Amino acid sequence: MPELRELYDAILNGDHKTSAAVTREAIDAGIEPMELVSGYMVPAMDEVGKRFECEDYFIPELLLSARAMKAALELLRPLLAASGAKSAGRVVIGTVKGDLHDIGKNIVGAMLEGGGFEVIDLGADVAPQKFIAAIKERNPQLICLSALLTVTMPSMKTTIEAFKEAGVRDGVKVIVGGAPVTAEFAREIGADGFGENATAAVALARQLLQAA
Amino acid sequence: MNGRERILASIQGQPTGRLPLMPITMMFAADQIGARYLDYVTDYRVLAEGQMRTAEKFGFDYVSAISDPAREPADLGAAIEFFPDQPPAVIEDRALLADKTRLAALRVPDPLAGRRMSDRVHGVALLKQRAGGDLLVEGWVEGPCAEAADLRGINTLMVDFYDDPAFVDDLFEFTVAMELEFAKAQIQAGADIIGVGDAAASLVGPKFYQGHVWAYEKKLIQGIHDLGAKVRLHICGNTRRILEGMGRTGADIVDLDYLAPVAAARAAMGPRQVLLGNLEPVGVLRNGSPEIVRDTVAACHRDAGENYIAGAGCEVCRDTPEANLRALCEYAHVSR
Ligand code: B12
Repeated sequence: MPELRELYDAILNGDHKTSAAVTREAIDAGIEPMELVSGYMVPAMDEVGKRFECEDYFIPELLLSARAMKAALELLRPLLAASGAKSAGRVVIGTVKGDLHDIGKNIVGAMLEGGGFEVIDLGADVAPQKFIAAIKERNPQLICLSALLTVTMPSMKTTIEAFKEAGVRDGVKVIVGGAPVTAEFAREIGADGFGENATAAVALARQLLQAA
Repeated sequence: MNGRERILASIQGQPTGRLPLMPITMMFAADQIGARYLDYVTDYRVLAEGQMRTAEKFGFDYVSAISDPAREPADLGAAIEFFPDQPPAVIEDRALLADKTRLAALRVPDPLAGRRMSDRVHGVALLKQRAGGDLLVEGWVEGPCAEAADLRGINTLMVDFYDDPAFVDDLFEFTVAMELEFAKAQIQAGADIIGVGDAAASLVGPKFYQGHVWAYEKKLIQGIHDLGAKVRLHICGNTRRILEGMGRTGADIVDLDYLAPVAAARAAMGPRQVLLGNLEPVGVLRNGSPEIVRDTVAACHRDAGENYIAGAGCEVCRDTPEANLRALCEYAHVSR
């Protein structure tokens, strides 16, 4: 019987090899994939987020933990799909047109994945049409837009307006974030929410999709 | 006393008459002369014109050849994307050192070979000629961590600190050698001071800053001093946890972004360190009012005490109201 606490520790410590090894053992021992996700992986990523907020962890630690979490998730994904386990929701994420900053977006994506969401990452410098195509093809419930430049913040507005024009706005929730973005700006451009950091992004996603 | 003399006096701890003034402008300066940013970064005459006109209009004490971090990577052969009216950027998916083993074969490019690095060297020479000794002329190089991030891909470099610290050190060693060559060419062209931009250093946390980045920043700064120029260390972002180390790099001027309180920097670096900053470029300088700008710079000045240079925490955003920037400049013009 694998020591599942090791999965939590491996993710917290950013050890992707151990995280994959423990996950493999757990699968072999017939443990429910969902138990691993919600019992160990989600709490580990929650703790990672907390440590980042209180400046105990920095970007290297965050990306290391994200990698360890993903190593476990890769192994679990086929099983989760086969078992028909319900994901917390399907999310499309990207940095908006004109903006190449993707570290924050990657971390938010990883934390959402760690939080049990299915995440489709469109990358950086994503045109509104590309988001719209993803909405039509993949049918997500939530869209996450990231921007780090004041000059690309208007792209968030353009993107949301393009959703309306394409008739897809009402079918999804849209949340925004990135260093210069504020809650007030989010309201102004008609987004459904704003998250200060990745932990807030996960909480917001849970709240919005529950209400939906 | 002219601007050049004022900044040099400040660095020497001598009386400056009034506060020296060194806000960073790039896209703002291009907009001032109605130039596309692509032209600003590819034609040194446009950059020099933008810098001279902006410095004259607002009464800055200096002009700078800072423009974008993609000059060195371009000359090394990295994939770069150019935009009509934005800074060019390194394409991270196609990072030059995606394969680490390529580092061994990498050679320092000739900064005078007629490519993007030369364009900056020419810019420095033209600024020197046009400023005629009245304004301080600043050259610019990337710091070890920022340049390593551009060559390796920043997301990958962050994880390399754990996976392969020896590679990180080798990469830093290469970047320092390259940036020293680049600095040398700019100093020979007339730069009085070299800005060292090491933005990515604010992301790694105190452990890796002390353990890896710091020694290479210090080496680069020492090298520039040996070449006869002053150094301004510019690390944007939240540097609160690494302030003490920044103060020990030997930099003549340490820039503070708005997330690093001036009072904390003063406490960490002692009374003699020249500090520059740290108005929030977006929240205060761009979105505030002239009154808010004046109050904020006055507070920075008060927290810094002596040995202070007025400026924003980072680049003045392109759509900053002129009245706000003027409020910052006027404060420096009348304060001592
Ligand atoms: C790394 C970096 C770069 C790298 C980006 C590499 C990459 N792959 O991402 C490079 C070198 C390419 C770059 C380029 C430029 N950059 Co830059 N860059 C930075 C830097 C150093 C760090 C940004 C970062 O990753 N932070 C860490 C992450 C984790 O934080 P974050 O993104 O804010 O994300 C968190 C939250 O905001 C939130 N979040 C983020 N997204 C989302 C989304 C949702 C939905 C939610 C809910 C939450 C959320 O959660 C995250 C985790 O907690 C900052 C300065 C600094 N030290 O902060 C400048 C900075 C962002 N850059 C800046 C500038 C100006 C530029 C350039 C224009 C520079 C130039 N003159 O050449 C170019 C523009 C290129 C382009 N077109 O995008 C400015 C922006 C100023 C402004 N507000 O407009 C900054 C602030 C530096 C400065 N002070 O001037 N940059």
